[in-house]
Amino acid sequence: MTDFHFSIDLPVRSEWSNVDLLRTSVLNCFAAIFSDVEGCRALAMVTGELVENAIKYGDWSGLAGLDDQRFRLRVWGEGHDAHVSVENPVKRGDHNAEEVLRTLGWLRTFSSPAEAYRARLLDIAAAGPEPSHSKLGLVRIAYEGNCRLTAELVRGVLHVQAELTV
Amino acid sequence: MQSLIVGDLRIEALEDGVVPALQLLWKGKSNSRHPLEMLTPYFRDVLAAAAARGLPLELHFEKLEHFNSSTITSIIKLIQDARLRAVKLVLVYDSALKWQKLSFDALRVFAKDDLLELRIA
Repeated sequence: MTDFHFSIDLPVRSEWSNVDLLRTSVLNCFAAIFSDVEGCRALAMVTGELVENAIKYGDWSGLAGLDDQRFRLRVWGEGHDAHVSVENPVKRGDHNAEEVLRTLGWLRTFSSPAEAYRARLLDIAAAGPEPSHSKLGLVRIAYEGNCRLTAELVRGVLHVQAELTV
Repeated sequence: MQSLIVGDLRIEALEDGVVPALQLLWKGKSNSRHPLEMLTPYFRDVLAAAAARGLPLELHFEKLEHFNSSTITSIIKLIQDARLRAVKLVLVYDSALKWQKLSFDALRVFAKDDLLELRIA
């Protein structure tokens, strides 16, 4: 079983109720695989935050038909290494997509995710709460999930990926 | 004080005379898209009640299963509002739950005076 692989690959409708459905599904699936419950909770939290962002900031104008109301969620890995990836369409010139890329660059300027997370908490307090634009979710993924985050914007699709050890 | 039910989240208000504080017990999951809109008016009333009674406000998260990052933003606003009203705020969490330990340990960045206490259950 050492070369054991796992994979979930889903087209998800952009509906808020799906956030918790997917978060708890991932939690339950991986609790059946791994004995580390806290690691499974972290994986579920990462999934929830990425799915929230896709629904909040994706382009769901529906101009191109029903398929445009969905995004892609993948959770896969081997052994204790897990990856969570979300791909969603974004509007041309969408500042939120650029903000995701900037946030990941900002994260790399800190010596640790914990330091970055505390700095973001202070930023939120100083700026007044604007939860839609705080990008706290991404910083939380890096800190609480102890994840390495990457993102790219290619031909109108934002792809964000988190890697963690469960 | 009234309790609050929003989606999967239930906040039970408790003032039992045994604990000299107005207690809010968080249960379930805080996974709303806009928790600030739901929680801010409730927190405003609770803070007013605590101030009127001269009691600290204790939030208990031990039974909470999950909160999203937007909820954390709402808690930061509560910390600020409580400080403005000079109401002592106590956040009680279960450090045996890693996600709670990480989340609330980080909030110690706001514990710069006696008006905010982060307490392990």
